[in-house]
Amino acid sequence: MRARVALAALGALGTLALARPSSAQIRASEIGSVSQIVDGTKITVEYSRPRSRGRDPLFGTRAVEWGEVWTPGANYATTLETSKNVKLNGVPVPKGKYSVWFVVRQRGAWTLALDPKAHRYHEDKPDTNAAVVRLPVRVDSAAFTDVLTWSFPEIRADGGTLEFRWERRRVPLRFEVEPSLTVTLAADDARPYLGRYEYREDGRPAAFLVTYDDTARTMKAEWVPNDPYFKRVAMIRVAPDRFVPGLYDRDGKIYEVYRPEMLFEFKREGGRVTALDLRDDADSLQWHATRRP
Amino acid sequence: MPHHAQLSRRHFVRSCAVVLGAALVPTRRALASPIPHPTPRPGITGAKVLTREQLGDDPKLVAVFDGVRAIPQVIDGIRCNCGCASTPGYYSLLSCFEGDAMARTCPICQGQAKVAVRLHKEGKSLDDIRVAVDAQFG
Repeated sequence: MRARVALAALGALGTLALARPSSAQIRASEIGSVSQIVDGTKITVEYSRPRSRGRDPLFGTRAVEWGEVWTPGANYATTLETSKNVKLNGVPVPKGKYSVWFVVRQRGAWTLALDPKAHRYHEDKPDTNAAVVRLPVRVDSAAFTDVLTWSFPEIRADGGTLEFRWERRRVPLRFEVEPSLTVTLAADDARPYLGRYEYREDGRPAAFLVTYDDTARTMKAEWVPNDPYFKRVAMIRVAPDRFVPGLYDRDGKIYEVYRPEMLFEFKREGGRVTALDLRDDADSLQWHATRRP
Repeated sequence: MPHHAQLSRRHFVRSCAVVLGAALVPTRRALASPIPHPTPRPGITGAKVLTREQLGDDPKLVAVFDGVRAIPQVIDGIRCNCGCASTPGYYSLLSCFEGDAMARTCPICQGQAKVAVRLHKEGKSLDDIRVAVDAQFG
């Protein structure tokens, strides 16, 4: 009975803590959160952050027992919320808010379970219903981390890594977001735009060369002579005859799309593309180029 | 300096401003699902669009507001993509140029209006203008 009362009290404290996170009260596991937006998808982890308080090891002890279904946090279960569909380690995760659980094992991979019932106390473990997303996760060794920490140590244009760390365990979760733009373009769709577009710049001739990369199935372009900043950009179609540039890193991956800062607008006469305008985000015409045969 | 090089550097600075603006205004812009473009309200006028007297001595800003005031029936049919659509009193991009006028400081509001005004002068339809605005700012 006393245990029940104590548990209820803890639950109430946890509720208070979640409801009033700024209230002045020292907690063994202070509340924290971390968010990251990648290409318009926002991922948020909210959790209570236990400290080691001199306990080492933590895993395989009363703190976290081997084989336990454990929320990587404290008090109320850690939650993960994603504003759009994502993939975690290649496994689809529909947009929504989930409580986060690990099945911790002494050897081999752990299991990550995401339960759509987000608001759970840490002792209210998820059952085996079909709505729970499950996936195996790799556990690495790492330097000692005193305070349980979720972070985003790596960001890419199309995703990144969400990472759990505590004690000497590190669990990296590779996530992928749904791209907001389609970079590839069929060769037939690109063909009408390909060619050399010439304009004058400070009284001198300049050109913009639009080509097609068969391997990447992408329309690309570059200035002539080549601009060392832009190099060769992806021409990403955002509407009929309208494109924005995607800049490539050294690995050939797009790391930034200049939208709305730059808009290439192809002009037609009699249905044929004859010219190209470059406008900025204030709709100012930067140059008007004429297509050469 | 090549023109496009100027563009890149200038835009880097301007992008910072946009990012700052985004930080102030629109987490929503990046995250919210696009809402449909509004239907222009019958009889809508530009009477509430801020005037030169209200805007102060900024010729470029005044020009944008004047352009919007001249075609309220078009601007009222365009969704603002800056993230302000959930603010009280919002109906369309036209709302951004009235009252507190977010467009005074928002480069997204201004850019969309400039595209709309130019394309309207070129004889483009409201549907064409919506496509162009969304292509760049959506």
